[in-house]
Formats: sequence, C-alpha cells, structure tokens
Amino acid sequence: MSDLGELDLPGTPGSPGAWDPQSEEWLVTETALRDGPAEAPGDRATQTTGRKPAPVPGRRTAVDPVKALMHRHRELCERAVDPLEIAAGLEAHGVTDRTATRFRHRDVFSLAEEMYARIPRDADTPPPPTPRATPRARADWALLTLLPGAACAATAVAIHLTQGQSRLIAAVVGALAVSLALRAALSRGPLAMPDRTHPTGTATQTCWLVAYAALGDGLLRAAVTGGPDALPTGAADAPWPLATAPVLALTLACAPAAWSAHLFAVRVRPKLTASRGLEEFAASVRPLLLGTFSLHLCALTTLLALCATALNEPGAYAQATTLGALLFLARLLTTHGFTHAPPLVLTVTATAQATALATVFAARLPGCAFLSTPVEALVATWGPGSVQALACGIGALTLLIHATRKLTRASAHAQPEHPC
Amino acid sequence: MRIGLLTEGGYPYVSGDARLWCDRLVRGLEQHEFDIYALSRSERQEDEGWVELPPQVSRVRTAPLWTAEDDGVGYGRRARRRFAECYGELAAALCAGGSEESSVAEADRFANALYGLAELARDEGGLVGALRSETAVRALERACRAPGARRTAREARVPDLLAVAAHLEQALRPLSLDWYEDDGLGAVDLCHATSGGPAALPGLLAHHFGGVPLLVTEYGVRLRTHYLADTESTPAVRSLLAAFHGRLAAEIYGRAAIITPGNTHARRWQERCGADREKLRTVYPGMETSRFAEVGESPECADPDTLVWVGRVEPTKDLISLLHAFAEIRKEEPKTRLGIVGAPSGAEGTAYLGHCKALAAQLFPDEAEGLHAVGDNPVSFEEIGGPEVPSLAEAYASGAVTVLSSVVEGFPISLVEAMLCGRATVSTDVGAVVEVIGGTGLVVPPRNPRALAEACVALLRDPERRERLGAAARARALELFTVEQNITAFHGIYLEIVSRTPVHRVVLDDTGEPLPFAAPAEAHVPGRWTEHSARVVARGGPGWAAGPPVRATTPVAATEGAAG
Repeated sequence: MSDLGELDLPGTPGSPGAWDPQSEEWLVTETALRDGPAEAPGDRATQTTGRKPAPVPGRRTAVDPVKALMHRHRELCERAVDPLEIAAGLEAHGVTDRTATRFRHRDVFSLAEEMYARIPRDADTPPPPTPRATPRARADWALLTLLPGAACAATAVAIHLTQGQSRLIAAVVGALAVSLALRAALSRGPLAMPDRTHPTGTATQTCWLVAYAALGDGLLRAAVTGGPDALPTGAADAPWPLATAPVLALTLACAPAAWSAHLFAVRVRPKLTASRGLEEFAASVRPLLLGTFSLHLCALTTLLALCATALNEPGAYAQATTLGALLFLARLLTTHGFTHAPPLVLTVTATAQATALATVFAARLPGCAFLSTPVEALVATWGPGSVQALACGIGALTLLIHATRKLTRASAHAQPEHPC
Repeated sequence: MRIGLLTEGGYPYVSGDARLWCDRLVRGLEQHEFDIYALSRSERQEDEGWVELPPQVSRVRTAPLWTAEDDGVGYGRRARRRFAECYGELAAALCAGGSEESSVAEADRFANALYGLAELARDEGGLVGALRSETAVRALERACRAPGARRTAREARVPDLLAVAAHLEQALRPLSLDWYEDDGLGAVDLCHATSGGPAALPGLLAHHFGGVPLLVTEYGVRLRTHYLADTESTPAVRSLLAAFHGRLAAEIYGRAAIITPGNTHARRWQERCGADREKLRTVYPGMETSRFAEVGESPECADPDTLVWVGRVEPTKDLISLLHAFAEIRKEEPKTRLGIVGAPSGAEGTAYLGHCKALAAQLFPDEAEGLHAVGDNPVSFEEIGGPEVPSLAEAYASGAVTVLSSVVEGFPISLVEAMLCGRATVSTDVGAVVEVIGGTGLVVPPRNPRALAEACVALLRDPERRERLGAAARARALELFTVEQNITAFHGIYLEIVSRTPVHRVVLDDTGEPLPFAAPAEAHVPGRWTEHSARVVARGGPGWAAGPPVRATTPVAATEGAAG
C-alpha cells in the first residue's frame, strides 16, 4: 500500500526540488497515515488503484486533497508571506478545524503550514515593481502660476503710464495684487506645501528680498554717493531708480519654477520605484536635481533678458538669477518637508543685505567711517548690485548644497499619507 | 476601582465599533470609576461626536490615530543615536528569519526596542518626526540587507522601505501620547483594552511604565483582521508588517494579566500567537434578552409549517443552498413555507438578493388555495420593519424552525437570537456555530442542501422534539449569552486581577499619613468611604512609597501596608 501511495505523491515527476524538507517530512507522515484506518472514500480509492496501478489523473484529488485545496486557493498561496496569512484566508473562505480534519490535520493552522511549506518557490520571481501614481499636470495650478507674472506686468505698465500720486497708488495696489497672486499660485500644484506641515513664515523674508531687488541697488548707489535726496519716483532714470525688470522676471518665473518642480517630481517617481537601495536612489536623483535647477536658471535668465529688452532697463542678471535660484531652492525644500533650513538661509540673506545698507548709513556718524569700507570697496569694484548678488549667491549655494543632501533622500519623496 | 478603558475607533464615538458592548459594560459596573482613553480612527468619526456617557465615567481622553502632529522637536546628537539604536533593533527583529529557537530572543529584542522607543518619546518627544526620518528608512534598509534576514525582506526596494516606515510610524503613534504620566494611565488600577493591536498598545506601555495590569478583550483577533485587510502591498511590505503585528500581538498577550477572547475561534488564534492558556478566559458577548422574552415564552404561537431565515443578505450566507434545500423539503412536506427576513448589505448583497429572488421564482411557482384565490410564492422575502415582520422577535416568532445556511460565519448573532426566542434551529457547521448551539439544535455540514433538507424535515415532522430543542436552546442562551453574564464575568475578572496586583494608589490623610484600605477595589456605598480632601498619589509619587512592595509579614507592614 505504501508503495502505491508513493506512486501518487503529488507533483513528484514535475518539480521534485521545489519543495523544502518540511513538506517532504509531511509526505512521509501522510503516507503512513494513509495506511492506517481511513474513512470510506479513501479506502475505496486505494482499492481501485490496487487493481489498476497506473495513476489516473482524476484520482489525485482524492489522494492528495491538499493539492486540490491549494489549487483552489492558489492566489492566496502565491500571495502569502507566512502560514498565518493562509490560515486567515482559509477561514475567510469557510474552512474550519472540522474541515481541516478531512485533510488529516488537527486544525486550520497546521493545514495552512503545510500549504505554506508546499508553495513552489523556485519560479518565484519578485513581481515587477508597479510604478506609483505620478503627479499629473493640471490646468488649475498651471494657470495659477501665470497670475503673479500677469499681475506684475500690469503693475509695471501702470507705473510707466502714471505719474505722481496715482503712480504711488498703482504701485501699492500692484504690490498687493502680486502678493495675493503669489499666494494663490503657491497654494496648489507642485509648489504647494503638503498640508501636514506648519506655515514656515518665509513670507516676510521673501518680501524683503524682492523689495531689495526692486529698490535696494538704487538706494545703495545713492547712499554711497551721499544720497538719497528724494523718495523713489518710480522712474528708472530717477536718482533712486526703481528696477522693474528683475521683479517682473522673478514673478514671471513662477510658471517655469512650478513646471521644473513638477518635472522633478515626475522624474523622481520611476527612480524611486526602480531603485533597490537608498544609495542607488540618491545617486540617480542627484543629476536630476541639478538638471532641474539649471533648467529653472535658464528659464529665469531668458525671462530676464526678455523683460530687460521690453522695459528698456539694465538686466541686473547676477542679482536676479541668484535671487531666483535662492527662492526656488527654498520653495523646493519646503515642499518636500524640510522647513528648517530655508527660513534660516532667507533670514540670513535678508539680514546681510540690510546690514550692508545700514553700514553705509552708519558710516556717516562721526568716527564710524570705517564701517562702510567693505561695502564701498565692493561697490567700487563690481558696482552696487554686487552686494545683493553676493548675499543671494552665497545663500543659494548653501541651499543647493543642502538640497543635494536632503532631496536625494528617499524619505523626502514618500507619498503624502492619505487620511483614512 | 478605577479602570482605564482603552478603545480604538470605538466607544465613546457614535460610530465606534463595539460601542454598545462598552456602554453596557460601563453602565453595568457602576461601582467602578472609568477613565476612557479613546483613539479615533478618522476625522469623520471625531466630528460625529460621542454617545451619552454615564456618571461613572470620570474622564475621557482622546487622541487621533489618523493624523500625527509633528511637534517639530529635533533630536540632539545623543537622542538621535538612541533612536537609531532602538529603531535598528526593532527593524532587525522584524526582518529576522523565523527559526523556532531564535524566536524567543527575537521577541525579547522586539519588546526592548519598543519600550526603548516609548521611553525616548517620553523623555524627548518628537518621535513622529524621527519615525518619518531618513534614519528610520536607513535602519530598515540595513536590517533588510543584513545576513539572516528573511527572503521576502531581502527583496525590499526603496518604495517598500518607505511604505513600511510610514506604516510603522502610524502604528507607533500611541508611543508619542502623554497618557502615561502619574495623572493619566499611571493612576488607574487596571487597563482594559477593548481590542488588541493599537488599542492595547497604550495599556502595554502603562504596564511598562507604571506596572498597571492589563486586561485584553478581543471579539475579533486584530492580527487576523490585519492579514485579511492588507492584500494590496508588495510581499516585502506585507511580510515586515505581518512580523510587526505578530510580534506586537505576542508581546501584548505576554504582558496581559488576563485575555478574554469572545469565542473559541478568537481563543485559538490567541493561543497560536503565544497567549498563555492559563490567562485565557472566554467571555461570550451578551445580548439584550428582554425583547425576545415574550416570543421565547410562548413557543406555541409559531406556524408549524414555516421555516425562517434571518440575517443580512450576503453571498457568504449561501441562500442559494437554502433554496435548493427548500426544494427538497417541499418534496417531502409540500405545505411548508420559507420566510427570508433581512436587508441586503452593500451593492453585492443587493445583487445577491435579486439573484436569490429570481431563483426562488424559478424553483417554486406561485400557489393558490383554490381555483379562485390569488396565489403567492411559498418563499417570501421580507425586511424587518415591513408590514409582515414589524420587529426582529416577530420574525423569529413567525416560524417553527430557524435555519442558518452560512458558509462563513464569525459569531452567529442570529442563531443566538433564535435560541433566545426558543426556536429549534438547523444550522451549518461554520464559525462558532457548534460552540454556540451546544446540543440544542441540529448542525449539518455547509454546502450540503440535502443534509439541510433532511434535518429540517425531521424537525418539521416532530413538534415535540422541536419544542424540547427550543426550550433547551432558550435555557442555554439565557445562561451563556446575556448581558448580565457578560458584565458579571468582567466584574469577576477585574476583581481577580486587582487581587493579584499590589495596591496601586496610596491615599494620604490630612497629616500626610497613609490611610489603609482607603481605595477599595469596589465600593457599594453611595458616595465615598474617605473624605474628598484625601490626597491620592500614584505609586512612585512620595519617596517612601516608591520602594518595592513590602511583605505583609515584615514588621513595617503595619505602617506601610498601603504601599505593599
């Protein structure tokens, strides 16, 4: 009888190496069990083979009921990571301990253990990683990012067309409109903050930096030469000139910034899915980050050139590009949850600019002339824009180094959790 | 006695699980004080508010599980190293291959890492941010790539690591709560977790920090729920998370003073996950019996030719099989009728109900008494609250025999209701049916319409046996499945646990001397035994009470008895 039983060992000819020792042990015990007093159907089945030893395909289910059960629950078996998972799945399909006795097991757990041990593991290839949902470009944020540029352009036109009091009103209303538009543009899309983080409070620093870009260089030049004698009139050729071109270019650059950030997010997803290790991921994200950054710089420079031509103003390329880079990196870091460094660097940059201005004015006090020496040397060598360019450049460089360390981490790109 | 009732997505929220049971428990044990520590599962649940709380609930503290406030605390160098160590240990315990002899050491490692993280959260705060940080992901990666890690863990890719880290952060949120101080869970005499998993985690920590005994009640095993729920993720994620939940369950069962499964099925799972057999006390859920009293005490009102099925209509109830069985019954007993009472659950249930109605119409043509009468189908589909069956008790009252034909069943409530109504039952052998019915009804294999039909016919033809079985079933149900037995059982278990635990609170009088017996395990007198001005300090409060428990036989016992 036992020989006959071995003839019917499930799957022996096909994949003998597929089972692990545990299942082979089980097979021995099962054969031994089968020789004992079995229930009526089993007896009948073995008697049939007594007359006809050739294995009949239909008989297998009778002799190896577990295999049939595994076939019925093959999805569950393929998926299972431990025996308890199979046990839970079997119970959900109505298998009880009393059912398990039909498979010559004490309870569902031991039945599940056998099934788990018998799952063929050779052909196990890890399933191809399914790409996760990539963020899609959407019309709402794409349109919203155009708003600040439009508002700023309108303001610039208004300032050019008006005079005196009405120019002041136009400038104030324009600044208000631009800041509201910026707020709206940053509220959604790739530049929006994930809602779990607190507001970081970079608004004040950003306002200062942009205001300095518009008025700072003129003030510094006037201050070094003993001015300023009057408030800015809003004209580009006044003693305290207003630089509209860099501000217009920066606000217009919201759109390319959003698209760059979007592109970065989209390109990171496949890297995330494909990477086996964290180092590999970091190595593949670093060029992406630098590429995104240069893309944004190129777009900003182009916009700057266009604005300078259109407004017939000097371009102030160094100042505006460094400031744009600084703001872009700060925003990119903030949106990925790093809310510590950006406000710090922005504050330091703004403070540096303010200090430069303050030293020039402080030098007018008796006996303090030495205070303005470094700033005056800078202005004399590279012009008044160099203060801003230097401050923003150092800030941007710091943030770039910070970003290459932080944004190449996998945890920065974890999907935002879904509240259940 | 002051009991800390720990719930997760349950009482006291209006939409909570098992809130009815908790409510009955709290109202039934009015001689104890209850502090409720509730974890909410979603924002909607929080918005829906609480049920009305009885006066014995002295405080309710809630915390959300669905969101975590990153308190913005950055760790210093030492705290960072401590976190990396603990988290690394935790990850290593999860990734370790499951050989039998090492499992004890791994369980120990897991527990140490868990308590290490809890202590870190208590000392430094800011665990949420750390659990989401790159340090955590790196620790997971290292553990997965370590030699001896299990096969599925070795296959983990970066998204898997992120998913596991996110899930662990969510699961470990109770560690960051401020519940474990002396005025929180440290002050209760007993923690009663109303389910395993996240609800029991605060109890586990209260046991670790303050030595508060833990009682775990599980009507459905959380680990099993986890296995059934998590089918979408990759094998690596599922394997690591299964290891986490398995080890957490084992730790909870190991530390609990007593575990009360709701039925044998839950008990088997708990034993399987490492619960000590001596700690297990099966406490059956209680049912409201009064609404079935009238029907149960007048068995003669039943229509002798009617079978009744009551329940929620879903595919697992296998009504198809019941209809086929009914066709067999009709061959033997042509006057029999079948009443199917219940509402469909979900879209699937609605479709299934339509299918069943079509099958019934196909199998059984409409019948009339004579040539001039209007006929109807012998199978009727009703819903509770309709004109034919105004209440649940009426539904059971309308038939002589109640049939249960499910292929999958947990704890069969409708069977208990039928028993309470004193009806003879025929049920399939699934879930906890045999355990519930005992010997007071007929049980047939599932998916066997012929056996079901034969059992029904046997009962239909034998009114005496029906009556006998019905009376026995009602007696059994009144013995085992009433609210009173449930509450009494928990009352006894509370006292048992407290009798084995050293006195937890020390009451001081005006002069600062301890008042012995001032905090009794239960008080049956209205008001308080001691004055309200008495100061209550948790163990560990005053210096002289902080020492180890003092033996009653030592000479100092007379003065420090309250501390010992």
